[in-house]
Amino acid sequence: MNRSDAPMPPALVSPWQRLRAASNRLTTRSASPVLLAGLAGLVALFLAVPVVYIFLRAVGADAEAWQRLLQVRLWKLLGNTLLLMLAVTGGALVIGASMAWLTERSDLPGRKYFRWMFALPLAIPAYIGGIVHLALLRPRGGMLPRLLENLLGQPVYTPSPLGFWGAAFILILFTFPYVYLLSGAAFRSQHASLEEAARMLGYRPLRTFFSVTLPAMRPGLLAGALLVALDILAEYGTVALLRYETFSSAIFVQLSGRYDRSAAAVLSGVLVGLAVIILWAELHSQGQARFTQMESSWRPAPIVRLGKWRIPALLVAAGVTFTSLLVPVGVLTTWSIQAVLDPETLRSVLHSGSMGFSNFAWNSLWTSFLAALLAITLSVPVALFSVRHPSRVSRLIARVCQVGYAIPGVVIALSLVLLVNRALPFLYATPLIVVIAYVLRHVPQAVRASEAALNQVSATLEEAARVSGRTAVQAFVQVTFPLILPGLLAGGALVFLTSLKELPATLLLRPAGFDTLAVRVWVWANDGFYVQAAPAALLLVLISAVPLSFLLRREQIFK
Amino acid sequence: MSFYRLTSLLFILVLLLTACTPASPVTPEVPTAAAKLPDSTDVPTDVAATETVDQTISGKLVIYSGRSEPLIQPVIDAFKAEHPEVEVLLKAGSNSEIANALIEEQANTQADLFITTELFTVQSLSQQGIFQPYRPAAADLLPPEFVDPNNNWIGLTLRARVIMYNTDLVAPEDLPTSIFDLTDPKWKGKIAAAGSTNGSMQAQIAAMRQLLGEEETEAWLQGLLDNEVTFFGGHTDVRKAVGAGEFALGLVNHYYYHLQLDEGSKVGVIYPDQGDGQLGLITNATAVAVVKGAQNVPAAQAFVDFLVSEQGQKIFAEQNYEYPLLPGVPLREGVQPLESFRLAEVNIAEAALDSDATFDLMEKLELP
Amino acid sequence: MIALDVRHLSKRFHSGQYPAVNNVSFSMQQGEILVLVGPSGCGKTTTLRLIAGLERPDSGEIYLDGQVAASREVFLPPEQRGIGMVFQDHALFPHLNVYDNIAFGLRGRPSVEIRQTVHELLDMVGLEPLVKRFPHALSGGERQRVALARALAPHPVLVLMDEPFSSLDTDLRLEMREQVRSLLKAMNASVVFVTHDQEEALYMGDRLAVFQQGQLEQLGTPEQVFQNSATRFVAEFMGNSAFLSGEVIPGGIRTEVGLVSQPVDLPTGSRVELAVRVDDLDFYPDPTGNAVIVERIFRGVQNVYRLRLDSGLTLQAFKEHITMLPVGQRIQAKLNPGHPLNVFLTSH
Repeated sequence: MNRSDAPMPPALVSPWQRLRAASNRLTTRSASPVLLAGLAGLVALFLAVPVVYIFLRAVGADAEAWQRLLQVRLWKLLGNTLLLMLAVTGGALVIGASMAWLTERSDLPGRKYFRWMFALPLAIPAYIGGIVHLALLRPRGGMLPRLLENLLGQPVYTPSPLGFWGAAFILILFTFPYVYLLSGAAFRSQHASLEEAARMLGYRPLRTFFSVTLPAMRPGLLAGALLVALDILAEYGTVALLRYETFSSAIFVQLSGRYDRSAAAVLSGVLVGLAVIILWAELHSQGQARFTQMESSWRPAPIVRLGKWRIPALLVAAGVTFTSLLVPVGVLTTWSIQAVLDPETLRSVLHSGSMGFSNFAWNSLWTSFLAALLAITLSVPVALFSVRHPSRVSRLIARVCQVGYAIPGVVIALSLVLLVNRALPFLYATPLIVVIAYVLRHVPQAVRASEAALNQVSATLEEAARVSGRTAVQAFVQVTFPLILPGLLAGGALVFLTSLKELPATLLLRPAGFDTLAVRVWVWANDGFYVQAAPAALLLVLISAVPLSFLLRREQIFK
Repeated sequence: MSFYRLTSLLFILVLLLTACTPASPVTPEVPTAAAKLPDSTDVPTDVAATETVDQTISGKLVIYSGRSEPLIQPVIDAFKAEHPEVEVLLKAGSNSEIANALIEEQANTQADLFITTELFTVQSLSQQGIFQPYRPAAADLLPPEFVDPNNNWIGLTLRARVIMYNTDLVAPEDLPTSIFDLTDPKWKGKIAAAGSTNGSMQAQIAAMRQLLGEEETEAWLQGLLDNEVTFFGGHTDVRKAVGAGEFALGLVNHYYYHLQLDEGSKVGVIYPDQGDGQLGLITNATAVAVVKGAQNVPAAQAFVDFLVSEQGQKIFAEQNYEYPLLPGVPLREGVQPLESFRLAEVNIAEAALDSDATFDLMEKLELP
Repeated sequence: MIALDVRHLSKRFHSGQYPAVNNVSFSMQQGEILVLVGPSGCGKTTTLRLIAGLERPDSGEIYLDGQVAASREVFLPPEQRGIGMVFQDHALFPHLNVYDNIAFGLRGRPSVEIRQTVHELLDMVGLEPLVKRFPHALSGGERQRVALARALAPHPVLVLMDEPFSSLDTDLRLEMREQVRSLLKAMNASVVFVTHDQEEALYMGDRLAVFQQGQLEQLGTPEQVFQNSATRFVAEFMGNSAFLSGEVIPGGIRTEVGLVSQPVDLPTGSRVELAVRVDDLDFYPDPTGNAVIVERIFRGVQNVYRLRLDSGLTLQAFKEHITMLPVGQRIQAKLNPGHPLNVFLTSH
């Protein structure tokens, strides 16, 4: 009786029919989804515009720009970027997973403290770590080589922090915590029975570890590795500082070099394409990460006794903490004290820039805070739509909202400069455009946090509120919102943290006279004024540690 | 329960706040708005006081500078001391980065002034119509080749491209005398220079392309690369590295030698290519231009006046060891006068037409 | 007075093969408990959600207390329908304590009245001492009672209960069943109760509505539905019936296990199926019998035997627990229902 009842082969279903079917579904579920879908769609549109624009610019660039880049730079940049990505991802996996094993599954002395020590480097932007290690290790001129030379009376070879190996070293040090946290959670949630079953089937402990324990953690490890990979694609400060050319730094050079944006647009297009592939893999692995979750019969896996390996393991763990946390913080503190004690340096620190120290500290705070607030606000309709009204449309919107992960700060900046200056000139060269860049880049984190929070709240609670006489909006405000608030705050803290550390987009988009802590550190350090840069860098690290510790305390083991 | 009520309330408050924010986007610029207020209310007095322009300038002055911040800040501070009502906002970066921004912003002008460390960029932008003419009274006193015939820009100071060296590492008899000595394998791995994003380096390459041609310039750059020259982002790194003995030689602007000497390092300086048939000393002129569409022309012009005044020129000479273009301003003690050297003669207007070729060359050689 | 009137209600989901609810009509009286029962996916929960206003019908009308709640022109959102609902997972607000959960639906009333109503209900469900507790500190049965109290507090025109006991363990479920039914009856509440458990349906309902594949198969008292199943499906679902084929002859039905003498309103020679429940069949050992014991299932008070007839059909029958017969024992089976059996025409 109803023509549309007959199942139709997919090929015969026209897009229009699909759309109608989808909209039908939207309207039938309850009264609000149309509005919600509209809001979520607008958010997705807002997030997608810069990427689409850059793609169009890249595709539309004249053949000559493509040809020149293909001939000279593209392959080398691609090689450089992928090589660094692989090296850092691999290194972060090894260090992150092994440190996680040490703190979660072994009797490493002081593992309670090491948990914090391994997570806290996330508060240190990699380029600040790079600045410190560069000052320490620079061949001949670094503090360490000179100390050794003074002690031994002759020059001693020390490894250089410059170039590929240096960049890889620094980036591993400051990205391994991602893998550490994710694999730590995976180790903790693993069933004791899993390993016991393998042992009963005749596997020795070591073989059990490699054939059962590690494979079972694959989703967690993969998710961590892909996050690191995306981070490396976007990294600008460290590679520029350590003079290893990747896509991000090459785009930056293009932007400050020739008076032609098409080369930068082409490079950006390729970079975003690369990142989208990794993001796709990452979203895919998210779906599978589920099988690491705990069940009711869960029992923690037993702690492994390290025995004679206890001391070596302790030394390795201490070494990792020393280089990734104690050295940067220690050196920055020493420099800061020097800066404060020397009146002239102190004066230049306090009165630097157009507005002075307190002004750019304040700028860092309010832009990051506003970005966090906006990102969370934007993420709520998207999360509500995708969690409460799952459909192809809502899933697509949620995926589009993840795109920020795949647009490095440099590309966002380029896109916004070109776009905003033409479309919204009144926004151009205001601090607000910096905030918009943060939002575009960090909304994915907020969406994930909001989705996770909403998934914890049963939809029947909202229905119960509706039946008890509340409108959809009242039900959200009185029931859903208070329950997801902690999750939203966590998402906000994450956006705040990453916005504080953001460098390339801020550098390119800030209006005249507008500095943030990150920019200030970069400008000083780039001119070789490490001591002047130190107080701002230290303050940045300390501020970052606040949201970070809030986030960590949400995890069981950090309580 | 009360906790949740409180947080809900907070959320709504925050929502309201965010909703309001776009309407008043520039929170930290509130003082600016206050500073501007007298402008609109004092219209009649403003008109009456036209003859004493200097006294009434106020508001925001946005300066885009290719000179790095430490090298321009002292002048800004001195200017602010004279004109406390003017709020100077500085954006410093490489010349080409700033030039790109100015081109991008043509229809949406942000900057009032552009300060650069070489003439190629300012000449090129001038041809694109980025600037508006202004001729300060002092322009007549400057050497004519450093004042744009159309008054679109005006020169400020000169810097010489020199080789500084660490006296501990280089014996007097080994000293190079030409920039072409830098490609000598005996200096392999012992030289530091600024990289391709540095304006002074770009200008040096542009000048050499004009004086020597593409091939010879490329051969020289390739020689530097083969000699494993370390390219830093800026000259401060170079001078500190040479001062620390990390490198024997550094290719820098002359004042970096003086700045490093001030820090007590054992460094010396060579003004290269003075022999017969040699290139001569390459110099770069810094310059300033008023941007077309500037929001605060009176303040911009006052700042230009200040830069070419005796007081402004003195700051460049005293604090940064530069060669002031205004005659009669004494050099800082220890700076060797330019008159004692043979200078390479570069046609700025011609080189400017070709700036993309310079970038092409650096890109082709993958100059870091 | 009619508390609920549902007319030609239909609802189809995008993903579904057939309509979730297909042209369903029924009505119920004030003070009645109507149980919607059927296997999972039969449309009973969707019907409940349509009544609640949590889903929008494709067609059909819903009248609450004589007022239209959903029709072609009208769709009242759930908050305007004045309905109470108890959810399968109870859906207690975790951020509110017992008192505030129960008071949630009373918003806007004078605070004296709220306090009085809440305490009345707390007293009724016996939770007065737990008034300050939060849901996570309650046992399953306590949560159940809070959910019921919350649904009843605003004195709704209709209470909807969606498998409310399914999250409880067996003993508690039986206990709650009794308590809740007597409470609902004491309050003279009109209730639509959804369950997939036929035993629970028979216990709870004044009337039962049996659903299958979105359609209402039968509506009637528990006795009617059980003893006079309208369709083969109802007989199968409500009594775990097996089906024995037979042929109508004058005066009864001839089957493999003998003649069933009961009046049949069908022409002689029709092929029919009889719904046979575990209590309808009797048997005794007989080496020349018509069936063999294939399994004995010990159920404590009784033994259930699975018997394979010579035709291959398997039926079940029970004996007291003291009677032990070995597997493989040949037996003679015969129908001994003591009441007319449900008879259905054999399809195709």
